[in-house]
Amino acid sequence: MTEHDMTEHNQPAAAAQQSAEALETVLAPDKPLLEVKDLKVDFTTDTGGSVHAVRDASFNVYPGQWVAIVGESGSGKSTSAMAVLGLLPGTGHVVGGSITLEGKDISDLSRKEYEHIRGREMGLVPQDPMSNLNPVWRIGKQVEEALKANGMDVKHEKRSNLSKAFADAEVDLQKKDDELFISSKELPALLAESRQALDEAGVRNIDKKIDYFTGEWIPGSETRWRVAQDLIQAGVGQDKAWDIAKRNVTGSSIDDRISGLLAEAGLPDAATRARQYPHEFSGGMRQRALIAIGLASRPDLLIADEPTSALDVTVQKKILDHLKQLTDSLGTAVLFITHDLGLAAERAQHIVVMYKGRVVESGPSLEVLQHPQHPYTKRLVNAAPSLASQRIISATERGEDATRLMEHHLVDESGLDRSEHIITVDHLTREFKLPRTKDLFKAVDDVSFSVKRGTTLAIVGESGSGKSTVANMVLHLLDPTSGTVSYEGQDIAKFNAKELMNFRRHVQPVFQNPYGSLDPMYSIYRSIEEPLRIHRIGNDSSRRKRVAELLDLVEMPQSVMGRYPNELSGGQRQRIAIARAMALDPDVIICDEAVSALDVLVQDQVLHLLNDLQAERGLSYLFITHDLAVVRQIADEVVVMQHGKLVEHATTDEVFEHPQRQYTKDLLAAIPGGNLELGLDTE
Amino acid sequence: MGKYLLRRVLQMIPVVIGTTLLIYALVFALPGDPVKAMFGDKPVNEAVAAQIRSEYNLDKPFIVQYLLFLKNALTLDFGKTFSGQQVIDVIGRAFPVTIKLALMAFVFEAIFGVIFGIISGLKKGKWYDTVILIVSLLLISVPTFVTGFVMQFVFGVKWHILPVTAGTNPGFLDLLMPAMVLGSVSMAYIIRLTRSEIASNMNEDYVRTARAKGMTNNAVTMRHILRNSMIPVVTYLGTDIGALMGGAMISERIFNIQGVGNTLYQGILRGEGTLVVSIVTILVLIFVICNLVVDLLYAVLDPRIRYA
Amino acid sequence: MSEQMKPEQEGNISRDASSGAAEDFVITPFPGQERFVAPLDETPLKEVDTVDEDEPATSMWADAWRTLRKNPLFIISGLLIIFILVVAIFPQLFTKLDPNYCTLESSLNPGSSGHPLGFDQQGCDIYSRVIYGTRTSVSVGILTTLIATLFGGVIGAVAGYYGRWVDALLSRITDIFFAIPLLLGAIVVLQMFRTSSSIWKVVLVLALFGWVSVARITRGSVMETKNLEFNTASTALGSSPMRNLFRHVVPNSLAPVIVIATTSLGAYIVSEATLSFLGIGLPSTVVSWGGDISTAQVLLRVHPEVLFYPSLALAITVLAFIMMGDAVKDALDPKSRTA
Repeated sequence: MTEHDMTEHNQPAAAAQQSAEALETVLAPDKPLLEVKDLKVDFTTDTGGSVHAVRDASFNVYPGQWVAIVGESGSGKSTSAMAVLGLLPGTGHVVGGSITLEGKDISDLSRKEYEHIRGREMGLVPQDPMSNLNPVWRIGKQVEEALKANGMDVKHEKRSNLSKAFADAEVDLQKKDDELFISSKELPALLAESRQALDEAGVRNIDKKIDYFTGEWIPGSETRWRVAQDLIQAGVGQDKAWDIAKRNVTGSSIDDRISGLLAEAGLPDAATRARQYPHEFSGGMRQRALIAIGLASRPDLLIADEPTSALDVTVQKKILDHLKQLTDSLGTAVLFITHDLGLAAERAQHIVVMYKGRVVESGPSLEVLQHPQHPYTKRLVNAAPSLASQRIISATERGEDATRLMEHHLVDESGLDRSEHIITVDHLTREFKLPRTKDLFKAVDDVSFSVKRGTTLAIVGESGSGKSTVANMVLHLLDPTSGTVSYEGQDIAKFNAKELMNFRRHVQPVFQNPYGSLDPMYSIYRSIEEPLRIHRIGNDSSRRKRVAELLDLVEMPQSVMGRYPNELSGGQRQRIAIARAMALDPDVIICDEAVSALDVLVQDQVLHLLNDLQAERGLSYLFITHDLAVVRQIADEVVVMQHGKLVEHATTDEVFEHPQRQYTKDLLAAIPGGNLELGLDTE
Repeated sequence: MGKYLLRRVLQMIPVVIGTTLLIYALVFALPGDPVKAMFGDKPVNEAVAAQIRSEYNLDKPFIVQYLLFLKNALTLDFGKTFSGQQVIDVIGRAFPVTIKLALMAFVFEAIFGVIFGIISGLKKGKWYDTVILIVSLLLISVPTFVTGFVMQFVFGVKWHILPVTAGTNPGFLDLLMPAMVLGSVSMAYIIRLTRSEIASNMNEDYVRTARAKGMTNNAVTMRHILRNSMIPVVTYLGTDIGALMGGAMISERIFNIQGVGNTLYQGILRGEGTLVVSIVTILVLIFVICNLVVDLLYAVLDPRIRYA
Repeated sequence: MSEQMKPEQEGNISRDASSGAAEDFVITPFPGQERFVAPLDETPLKEVDTVDEDEPATSMWADAWRTLRKNPLFIISGLLIIFILVVAIFPQLFTKLDPNYCTLESSLNPGSSGHPLGFDQQGCDIYSRVIYGTRTSVSVGILTTLIATLFGGVIGAVAGYYGRWVDALLSRITDIFFAIPLLLGAIVVLQMFRTSSSIWKVVLVLALFGWVSVARITRGSVMETKNLEFNTASTALGSSPMRNLFRHVVPNSLAPVIVIATTSLGAYIVSEATLSFLGIGLPSTVVSWGGDISTAQVLLRVHPEVLFYPSLALAITVLAFIMMGDAVKDALDPKSRTA
């Protein structure tokens, strides 16, 4: 207790020198924290052969730096990261190259040695927040495991000196006791004494200062050192400040530490949350808990494997902002695995582009993405949708085609009164009963819009916005609680069986999940043929001809007819789903997140396909998506939904250039790399 | 949790009524005269038959019969056997032995099933894994009564290690072999269940996350792989207590143990419908209660269930 | 470039966003992080998302079959089952003797020419009884499996597909049957019909208490399948609920039902033998392994071989079906690989 003599804190010269050294090591690091050289990873197949998942990959990560590895699925980006952690799945093993962490080769460590460095030298924030927390343990317990595994459950836990250097250049840290955490028990007394001290020091706005302290001094997260600094800054004399800090900050309990870590990761009400189970958490909250776990033992390197790809964009932005702040303050380096170029450009200083197991290009992230040189990077950059991208291909040309085709249609089916709007949704509301309560939940609340013939209307919203519920009601798969959906001016709820069949013929869906929307037991031929069969169109040979035509239409070889969905990639399946939707020559296609699950290049291809089909056939699209960047490429009009309500409805350009509502602005701001222009060289 | 418990107990009531009604109906309402069945191969004495009919309310409408049976059953009055004993007394004499036997079988299958299952699951592909797998497959394939005879012959008749039959008032050693026979099939199932659960849990994402935390292999195995794998195993074990009581008949026959199973068997041989229905009803009730306990246990083990 | 979102392209750590000092740092990449572009010949660009046209097309069943074919468990059990079926259908191919021709003077005679396994207490030829017993066990197993699977499958599919009150009602009924263990239920019913000599009574009784597990599994499988997107897609194409059930849901729910059916076949054979052993299954006039084991138990101490042979036949048959169930499970549900 008495170790802290006042004099010890009055050595600014020494402290400054120390921090300068710390700064220097960061600014001119001569050694990378992680050095991966010519890494080769193989997977052994059932038949004994080898699949080369990673070939000769080399990259470096310097202390405190964010490095992004980008690539499509199967590019080897995650495998490289897992090789670094020594956690390759299944039969994967490192067959060549070296992985050097802080100067020592870790590629051939024993299991025990690996256990020793995992957690304390490198941490992991995994991809899927739903499956990465054990459902049977409380969140707090799972954080505690991370502390205990690395001997961090003791009272003295050091934040790295490095971080201090950045948090405050005038660091005067001398005693390790300064690293003691505030405990929740001591906090009230600490605050009371601080108030008194501020009062004695004659500081004004005491309430405001105390409010600030209450917000900042998180038990288990902030240290005695920080308390003293805050008090000094608020106007308390140095000696007095250290005295208060020393008497009232004597170390926290493990529970405080756990909730402190969770609070650091941005989890509100952390102490209560720590006692809950994973299933009581939303996806975003689980991801925060995983970040807390990854950083619990203050690793020097954090491997973040698509940490936010399962989350809504606004949540993603919040979490990544927070992670950035946290790793900066701790001096943690981040190896950031992502498929999203915008995210990589925005978050990382250095970028590594991987393709088919190899590094094809690397360098400063903005430079690489603005001036890509490797053809693959160029291709990737061109395909990546962003705010800067425009409606795909020549909109005018398409427009002309559409009008022409529309006229064609008009002549074809004369006698019908054709309105400008093919689908009209009027005051649509849908309520669901919440399980085990009498409460009703409004999934869709008084939504009205209409789709102009031959154009695309996009409904944008995050999970829970009710956008898919709208789609299902438009498809007559779900009855509205109130309001109407009209097709060609007629209320679809009033259709009789025959009219409904006619409606089904003209309004077709393409669903999100390319793995779920085709029956795995049906061959491709049977899948595409099914609508013809249901509507009793043609005979066997004419159907076969029609299926062949449809495959041509979606640019698939006819040889896939006899294949099964499990043999095709996600993008190919989505093409088949489009071919099936086109089989009956529909007027309207409802795309429910039709491209969300696809890699950028494939997504780009499918979007072009949809666009070409619209141009050729005068189709109208209702395009449901969470991805605003895609909207810009495909939609003419945009409807923004939030919590079941329609927030904004305007043309695409208006929404992007002059968003009216705060929520729309937030959505736009959250688009990763939204304000970066990539691929400057091309076109 | 309290709500869940209440809901489960309430759900149990229709099941209990339904099962007892079903059993009662199977014995007393199916074509085939239960009274005639009581006489077995002997000629039917109509006077005695009429007396039996009125004694068991068989002359009343079926649903009234059932309600009377239920009412009496609630007061533990199950009627009398042919020899004039109270059924409840007969059952009371038989139950302690069977409970002892079932518990021994339970302990045997739980300990060895889980231990061998864990060894096999954690050391997949090793030679002893293969041996454990083959043995468990054999135990499942060979009917209990065959296993029983084989063990009786080998350990009892040939080697004289364990008593050949148990006799009246059997002790621990007398019941050891019958209990092993009784628990052998379930043990094999537990081995297989444990093994496959461990195998699937090992590949869970949260196990990888736990390793990434820096936890030692032992800690990951204990806290994540085994803890999660035990949920279905404990569930199986719980349901099995009830099943063991019912399945004890074969073991009791082979080793001549005067328990519930043997009493039931004698009842069947003599065609004593009342005795059979009473015993089966009690066994089914035990089974249903075990299932309820398992459901509650499940909720304790898996927090997700509590809120579902 | 807007102000609020400044990319950190400098090769160093950004300072606190508010410090605004980031621009002071020199923009030079760290050693080893200079611009690198792989030569094109090392990673030639492929067409995006091409179809591999070389591999032969395989449906899910074809895939399962390929997995099965390579599984030694399947080969062994398959050959055994074929052999067992042949014995069951054509027992006269394997023995010329009538299993019911018994002469007391040959009682317990040891094996001799033409009678490889000797005689039992009644003086019947053990070998021919073992051969003829196959038909009984196998037919009880197969018939029970068929009836229980069909009945349980339909109940489970209807409950799972239609949900709501239909499901509530059927599930309660299933619960009631589930609460009665197979053996106990069978004992109660069979003691009523001890005089009937048909194998059908055993089949029906076993099916009566055996359909429950099939129903539960089918229900779960159907509930899982019906929520898959291809059913919604099919409805949106104009397909009726009935068409969906039969064309999409049922075929996709079959796998677990097939697995349970194969595994329970073995279990039914064991149950039949157990009931016969207890003397309430098949009457003594029907040649069955269970019955023979039951009559032989008194001879355990003196002539264990009389008990041994039918037991061995029974065990091998059950083992074959259980192994087949395991192999089928491995093939249809890759998650639960046993090896």
